[in-house]
Amino acid sequence: MTSTVLFYLLQFLILASALGVVLIPNPIYCALMLAVSMIGISALFFSLEAYFVAGVQLIVYAGAVMVLFVMVIMLFNLKNEVVAFSKGLLSKVLKVSLSVLIFALIASSLSMSFADLNSSQLQPYESAMRSVKELSALLFTKYIFAFEAISILLILVVVGAVSLARAKGGTHASDK
Amino acid sequence: MPLTSSLTEISLNHYLILSAALFCIGMFGVIMRKNAIVILMSIELMLNGVNVSFVAFSRYQNTMDGYVIVFFVMAIAAAEAAVGLALAVAIFKRFREINISSFEHLKG
Repeated sequence: MTSTVLFYLLQFLILASALGVVLIPNPIYCALMLAVSMIGISALFFSLEAYFVAGVQLIVYAGAVMVLFVMVIMLFNLKNEVVAFSKGLLSKVLKVSLSVLIFALIASSLSMSFADLNSSQLQPYESAMRSVKELSALLFTKYIFAFEAISILLILVVVGAVSLARAKGGTHASDK
Repeated sequence: MPLTSSLTEISLNHYLILSAALFCIGMFGVIMRKNAIVILMSIELMLNGVNVSFVAFSRYQNTMDGYVIVFFVMAIAAAEAAVGLALAVAIFKRFREINISSFEHLKG
């Protein structure tokens, strides 16, 4: 019963802060709301007994990515931002209804597909340490090529991001 | 399925619907906002929604593969945020704003 209450509490927290990210005009508050949402998702992972993933979620998202966002926001002078949302009443109505429609489509198809998997049939993991061990074994055996590809991608991204941000004239170097 | 048991007992569907809701909120942000940084944040929200469904599937089917995929998604999301923010910095240097409309004038 406590896990049910916890789930609904976390769900409310995550969805409310996610809506905050989308609807608040000031980007620094958006970043704050995003951090709250990430922490809520991490707590959800904890309640699903995925401890290591929850920790990585906290470190990578609530730590590193959020610092990146906040640093870039502070780099810009965002006082003079006037237009936060796209213009036009018709396009706004269209976009809202499109999002709601896609959510309704996914939710209704889900309720027909996976209705038989309940938490009462959940098999408990033996221990948290064992799941971490299994995870690392999988990462370095079955998914080793994906792991190496990710490392190459990260190196490329580091070099690319630095050269992009340092280039004189930004993305329009040949324009001047 | 009776309504009371579906409300008191958390099934896989609850997590999947939460995941779908997060994804749709993120998508709404991507198509609605004009600020490039907020659009990047909304993309992070979408990726996190997908992560929730991966972890829930992995837990309810008692496998480890979903967690590994979540790691890869996180690594790619961090990389995407770094490149996107570098692009935003480059755009800001030129136009003194980070409206997404400025990205129409991109040149190599």
